Amino acid sequence: MTPPPPYVDALTPWPDTVAWRPVSRKLITVELIARGIGVVVLLAGLGVGWALAPHWLWPAGMGVVVAYAIWRSIVTFRAVRAWGYAERDQDLLVKHGLLIRRLSIVPYARMQFVDVTAGPLERAFGLATVQLHTAAAASDAKVPGLPPQEAARLRDRLTALGENRAEGL
Amino acid sequence: MTTSPAEMAEPRRRLHPLSPLLHGAKSIAVVVAALSWNTLQEVGLGRFALVVTVLALGVVVFSVVNWLTTGYHVVGRELRISDGLLWRRNRAIPLERLQAVELRRPLLAQLTGLAELRLEVVGGSKTEAPLAYLTVRDAAALRERLLALAGRTTAVAAQPDAGAQVAPPSLERQLVRVRNRDLVTSQLLTPQAFFLPVGVTFVVIQFVLEAEWTFIGIASTFTAMAGVLLHPARRILQDWDFRLARDPGGRLLVRYGLLETRSQVVPPHRVQSIGLTWPLLWRGHKWLHLRLDIAGYAGEHGSDSKQSDRLLPVGDFGTARSLVWEVLPSVDLTTLATSPPPARARWLHPFALRYLGVGLTPEVFVSRWGLLTREMSLVPYARLQSVRVVQGPVQRLLGLATVYADTAGGRSGEARDRDLAEAWALAEQLAVRARHARRLLSQP
Repeated sequence: MTPPPPYVDALTPWPDTVAWRPVSRKLITVELIARGIGVVVLLAGLGVGWALAPHWLWPAGMGVVVAYAIWRSIVTFRAVRAWGYAERDQDLLVKHGLLIRRLSIVPYARMQFVDVTAGPLERAFGLATVQLHTAAAASDAKVPGLPPQEAARLRDRLTALGENRAEGL
Repeated sequence: MTTSPAEMAEPRRRLHPLSPLLHGAKSIAVVVAALSWNTLQEVGLGRFALVVTVLALGVVVFSVVNWLTTGYHVVGRELRISDGLLWRRNRAIPLERLQAVELRRPLLAQLTGLAELRLEVVGGSKTEAPLAYLTVRDAAALRERLLALAGRTTAVAAQPDAGAQVAPPSLERQLVRVRNRDLVTSQLLTPQAFFLPVGVTFVVIQFVLEAEWTFIGIASTFTAMAGVLLHPARRILQDWDFRLARDPGGRLLVRYGLLETRSQVVPPHRVQSIGLTWPLLWRGHKWLHLRLDIAGYAGEHGSDSKQSDRLLPVGDFGTARSLVWEVLPSVDLTTLATSPPPARARWLHPFALRYLGVGLTPEVFVSRWGLLTREMSLVPYARLQSVRVVQGPVQRLLGLATVYADTAGGRSGEARDRDLAEAWALAEQLAVRARHARRLLSQP
């Protein structure tokens, strides 16, 4: 048999040749605030329910919501660090996910269009999301948490590369 | 905006004058069915006829107005269609995006010598611009013209095309013709058809035991049987007299249908992937069926009427082999070697592990799976849209990962549960080979 196989990790393939770029750490704050708002709304709803119809299930539900939120928030720190993208000569690599780890390789030539979106919270923190669409519905190349100038640079670069190599289908 | 003389010369054209009647006939049938016998009994024949006449008149007037406001013409490399009276709608369909053209003739249209032209355009969630109805000759001519425009590269587009649009006489080469006997047999060998005797026996036993013959019971039983048999029956009607040919330009011509005949033209480079299926019940005959994935038909799995993506409804291995060779040149079904995933994937696939496999041949990415119904998919590297590697929690424990090769046809080639290092290598290879294949395509 072969000598001991090289160390492989689902999150960092080809560590020698690919320069992975992380997304902004501010995305952690954005996600935490977004989750916080959601939790507050849920808790308020449950609180109203408790006030109207006292039952021990209401506080139990609140407890579950809080516990879930805390757990998700801890995961968020690692999940945001798990996002990464890399621009190679011919394709864009995007990796994300902790429980289910995903890596997408999308050739620039296959690009149909690029989406740049920024929600109100993202805008407040100066972030944007760039998404690359191909003709295949399954391909997911989405990079959240980019500073605006980086998002614009990525968008322009993708568009330029896509035009150079345009083949579409 | 500059308008060349050619654009000025092309007037807007209308659909065939009979089309409002044909459209109306459908609506009237629906209306009569909705009113049903119940209403007839209640209001009497005279008033029923009156109501139907008024409704029919309304439908016809509506259809005529629709017909008057609908027009189409070809401008440059676009097909423009405008319709609507209150909400005018103008659509420009870029012909570079044309994936396939289908000529469809429902029963009424067959009687009147008309046809419906349907264009499949990538990106549209539904069939774009069904032009219903044109005369068969017009539809065929327009189809030839659109395909000629779609096939031309921009370099050739500059050339005058006076004679090029005349459809050549049928020099097409017949590739395969499915015998109707085989088709019927194959559809009788489906789970639905097998269920029928079981169901009938069950019902008969029930009747014998209960000794209770109610009309409702019998009627509902028949409805249930009809529902079960609907799918195979519809397949037989749809795939009746299935013929596949190749025209001088190398395009695939698919013709099939009994009540509604369809004839479809697919340029070979629009084929995104090929799927092969060996159903369990067909194994006695060593039959299989072939499926063609075209980008325009993506995501239409629900509606049965639109599934016009068949390459071979039923056939033996030899036929399938020669067909695959025709569609994807130099891909030989007998030489596709696949390698199984590592043995520890047995935890995820206790029985089917033997039938899992992927292979990288010079032209296509092969993957096969399935224990009872064996399936295989062939994805040409040149058609790859993106590559994904996904690893779930259980797979992480076992050091496995799944590689997806996405195509625009909606179905992805899957390399399930490969060793992680192998998965990376596979993804890298797919990306490299796709790039290489594309480069070969762009500089022939």
